[in-house]
Amino acid sequence: MTAEYPVAPRIAAPSVWRTGKALPDGRRLRQLRPAILPAVTAAALLLVWQIVVTARHVPAVILPPPVEIAHELWRVLPVLLHHALPTTLDSLMAFITASALGIGLAMVITYSPFLRDMLYPNLVLFQLIPKVALAPLFVVWLGISSESRVAFAGFVSFFPVVISAAVGFANIEASALRLCRSLTATEWQSFMMVRFPFALPAIFSGLKIAMTMAVIGVIIGEFISAKAGLGFYILYASSRMETAVIFAALLVLCVIGVALFGAVALAEELVRRSYGRQ
Amino acid sequence: MRVGEKEPYVEVAEVGKVYRSGTAAAIEAVSSISFTVARGQFVAVLGPSGCGKSTLLMMVGGLEAVTAGRITIGGEPMTGPRTSIGIMFQDPTLLPWKSAYDNVLFPIRVLKRPLACYRDGARQLLERVGLDGFMHKKPHELSGGMRQRVAICRALIYDPELLLMDEPFSALDAITRDEMNELLLDLWQQYTKTALFVTHSIREAVFLADRVLVMTRRPATIVEDLMIPFARPRPLAIGESREFNEICGHLRERIEKGHYRGRERRFEANMAPQELVG
Repeated sequence: MTAEYPVAPRIAAPSVWRTGKALPDGRRLRQLRPAILPAVTAAALLLVWQIVVTARHVPAVILPPPVEIAHELWRVLPVLLHHALPTTLDSLMAFITASALGIGLAMVITYSPFLRDMLYPNLVLFQLIPKVALAPLFVVWLGISSESRVAFAGFVSFFPVVISAAVGFANIEASALRLCRSLTATEWQSFMMVRFPFALPAIFSGLKIAMTMAVIGVIIGEFISAKAGLGFYILYASSRMETAVIFAALLVLCVIGVALFGAVALAEELVRRSYGRQ
Repeated sequence: MRVGEKEPYVEVAEVGKVYRSGTAAAIEAVSSISFTVARGQFVAVLGPSGCGKSTLLMMVGGLEAVTAGRITIGGEPMTGPRTSIGIMFQDPTLLPWKSAYDNVLFPIRVLKRPLACYRDGARQLLERVGLDGFMHKKPHELSGGMRQRVAICRALIYDPELLLMDEPFSALDAITRDEMNELLLDLWQQYTKTALFVTHSIREAVFLADRVLVMTRRPATIVEDLMIPFARPRPLAIGESREFNEICGHLRERIEKGHYRGRERRFEANMAPQELVG
């Protein structure tokens, strides 16, 4: 039927767009949709939040309006940044430790069938335990220092790394390893030149999970015992019924989380590109 | 047994292979095979799919251990993979994150030879196989035939004396396959390697080889050792000649006889008609 028309428009844009001069091309808007749509949705939600809270006279202690949160954020930002630093550093420390140990253990499991049979089922089992419940134990063992929180956060984020890396190392194409063998490559060479790059997507998906888990672990650690950090400050603000400050702290925490996750994603891009270019 | 006038380079003596897996009955894949390949000779091993000819090739390449007999290459008993052998596998086995050019140089990196000495060679080889415009393309951007051409270059770059090929073109369409056969002969004449080529295509074997060995089904043995009289260079058109087709007919008969002896009538149905007729 469309064939009867010599020039059929490829994308049928709403007539408003076609006639409106501000948007001469509806297609451009569609291209930008992935960026615009979530932002518009979030803005709309904030607007609804603001209107409902104001119109219904919800007490600020229960749910402060977004405008007040923004105001509070601006007021306590220096304090929040002061508390953001230990949270960020502890998360990073935990993540780095968990990544190194996780990838290391995955290598051991890959090359030793005995250790794999011994450890892997237990690791998977551990992955299923709600490890958050173990947080108080770390306080018992390591006290209320920063090391205790790093150890707990590292413990929590270790499991996704080791399991995804082990899966990645195991999923290599057998033919690629055979090629290495035919070229008299050493085990180390075939690991570095073939097995590791093949496993990179799996490893990084584990690292991304680990990064978010590390932040969660540190916050929980700070909830239990800390003298600084955003987790500590959220508890402090809640004890003073400063709900807007809690939201402001959450906002800062979001930014930190996104930045750390973005750093891992960037590292993945760089590492994979370096393998592509070598 | 007929042997070329020159000294034997590959000697396969009473070689057998038995697979034992756990409690299951042992499977005899290859049974007491003996032949020699003279230096510079192109020998095709012809047999139906799954007859153990790939196993034989992998044993010659040192990638599978023999369970009986011995293999000697260049006077040295075969103990494992060595750098005087280049192998082309059934699939190209290219590293997906490396460009065609870097895939060709992969053996040089593994063998830790100075890369600078081989860059020109890699470029020339790729030009030689008609991939000058595709050097920096990744494998997923290349067609199946192009990938196998990259694999040929990769097998030739480190200048092995013996080239082992395991049905390298079996996944390609008939036209591409003819092209690849012509290209392979061209390269072989230029580099004059000793070559052992495994295939289930009668026509491919007769077109390429100086000598065709016919293998039967499991346990695999050699039932025919035939010199192919055509002079080189061989144009694709010799495939139309009467003599060529007579040789193909003779080989087909030998395969069928070998098959009857193996009392497995089934494989006739498994084999595509054009492979039997050639």
